[in-house]
Amino acid sequence: MDYLGFLFAANAFVWGGIIYYVFTLKQRNRALEKDLELLKETLSREG
Amino acid sequence: MNLFISQVSAIVWKDFTIEFKTRELFSAMFIFALLVILIFIFSVNLSVVEASEVGPGILWVAFLFSGTIGLNRSFALEKENGCLMALMLMPADRTAIYFGKLISNFVFLTIMELFILPLFMIFFNIDLLEHLFPLLIVIFLGTLGFCALGTLLSSLASNLKTREIMLPILLYPLLVPIVIAVVRMTGQVLAGEPLSEMMNWIGLTASFDIIYIGVSIMTIDHILEE
Amino acid sequence: MMSSDAVEENEEESSILVWMTGLAFLAAIIAIFIYVPTERTEGVVQRIMYFHIPSAWLSFFAFFVVFICSILFLWKKEREWDIYAHASAEIGVIFCSLVLITGPIWARPIWGAWWVWDARLTSTLILWIIYVAYLMLRAQSEAGSMRARYAAVLGIVGFLDIPLIHFSVLWWRAFHPQPKVISSEGIGKGMEIGMLATLGISLCAFTLLYFLLMGVRVRQEKLKDEIDRLKRETLYSS
Repeated sequence: MDYLGFLFAANAFVWGGIIYYVFTLKQRNRALEKDLELLKETLSREG
Repeated sequence: MNLFISQVSAIVWKDFTIEFKTRELFSAMFIFALLVILIFIFSVNLSVVEASEVGPGILWVAFLFSGTIGLNRSFALEKENGCLMALMLMPADRTAIYFGKLISNFVFLTIMELFILPLFMIFFNIDLLEHLFPLLIVIFLGTLGFCALGTLLSSLASNLKTREIMLPILLYPLLVPIVIAVVRMTGQVLAGEPLSEMMNWIGLTASFDIIYIGVSIMTIDHILEE
Repeated sequence: MMSSDAVEENEEESSILVWMTGLAFLAAIIAIFIYVPTERTEGVVQRIMYFHIPSAWLSFFAFFVVFICSILFLWKKEREWDIYAHASAEIGVIFCSLVLITGPIWARPIWGAWWVWDARLTSTLILWIIYVAYLMLRAQSEAGSMRARYAAVLGIVGFLDIPLIHFSVLWWRAFHPQPKVISSEGIGKGMEIGMLATLGISLCAFTLLYFLLMGVRVRQEKLKDEIDRLKRETLYSS
C-alpha cells in the first residue's frame, strides 16, 4: 500500500491551483494599477 | 384574475396564429427529433442491446433536443422585430408574458411528442398502447418541467449575443434531475410497473416543476426589465 | 474614492488575515504530513482527503454565498452584492475543480478506477458545469445592470437545483464512502480524534483562505468600477 506518487500528484494540483489563482489575481491587480496610473497621468496633463 | 387569463391567452393565441401561418417551427422540431432518434439507432447496435433498455433514453434525448429548438425560437422570434418591446409596453403583467410563453412552448412540444410516439413504437418494436396512460402522465410532468425552466432561461438568453449557444449550456446541466427521473420512469412504465411503484421519481419531477414555476414567477420581472 | 484612512484600515485588516491564513496552512501541512497517523486500510493516499474534503466544503460554501448574494441583489439592487456573487462563484469554481481533480487521484488506488458514476461525484461534476456556465454568462454579457440581474437569476436557479440533483443521482446510483465525519452515530464517531483534528485544522485554513481571496477579489472589482467611472467622467468632460 504505497502510493506516494498519487499523494504527490494530488498535492501538486491543489497547491498549483491555488498558486495559479493567486498569480492571476496579482496580474489583474497589476493591470488595474497600470490603468490607474495612465488615468492619473492624463488627468494631471489635462488639469 | 380574469384580466390575467385573457392576457395569457392573447399571447398564446398570437403564437398559435403565427405557427398556423408558417408551420416552420413544428416541422423543424418534428424532423429534428426524428433525426436524433435515427442517429441514435445507428450508433447503438440494436441486435446486441435490448431496445427497451436504450429506448426511453433515446426518446427523451430527442424530445429535449428538439424542445431546445422551440425554446430558442420562442423569445428570439419576439426579439427579431422588436416585438418583445411591444409586449413589454403592453399593460400586462410580466408574469402573463411568462405564462403565455410557457403554455405555447408546452403545447408545441407536447403535440410534437405525440407525433413522435407512434414512430418510436414502430422503430423500437415496443408496445406503448398497453401503458399509454401512465406514459402520458410521465411525459406531461417531464415536459412541464423542461418548459418551466426552459422558458425562463430562454427569456434570459434571448438578450445575449450568443443566445443559441448559451441556452443549452445554461439549461442542460440544470435539467439533469428531470432527465434522470423521466428516463427512469419511462423505462419502468414500459416494463409494466404501476406508477405507485415510482412515487419518489414522481415527487422529484413534480417538485422540480413547482420550484421552477415558482422561481420564474418571482424572477421574471427582473429579466424582462428594460 | 475611498479615503486614505479607510484604505489603510483595510490593508491592516487584510494583512492580519494573510498572516492568519498562512499560519493555519502551516499548521494544516504539519498536521497532515507529520502529525496524523496513516490510515490502516487506505494507506498514505488517505491524506489526500485532508485537502479534498475542505475544498469540497469551500466550494459548496462559496456557491451558497452566490445564492444568498443573488437574492440580496435582486432585492436591493446594489452593485455590492453583484460583486460578492461574482467573486464567490469564481472561487467556488476554482475549488470545485480541485475537488474534481483530487477525487479521481484518490479513487484510482482505492477503488481501482479514476472515475465512477457515483452519486456525489456526479453531482459535483454537474455543479461545476452549472457554475462554469454562470461565469460564462457573466463573461458573455457586458457589464451593467442586465448582466447583474441575469447572473443573479442564474445564481438562484442553480442553487435551488442542488437538492434535486442530489436526490436524482442518489437514487440513480451510489458508491461514495458514507460520510465518516457526520454519521448517524453522531459527529466524529467514525474517525480517530487525531484525524478529526487534522481535518478541522485544514477546514479552518481553507475557510480563512476563502475570505482572504474574497477580500482581494472584491477590492479588485471595486477598483475596476472606480477606474471605469473616472474614465467615463474624463471622457465626457473633455
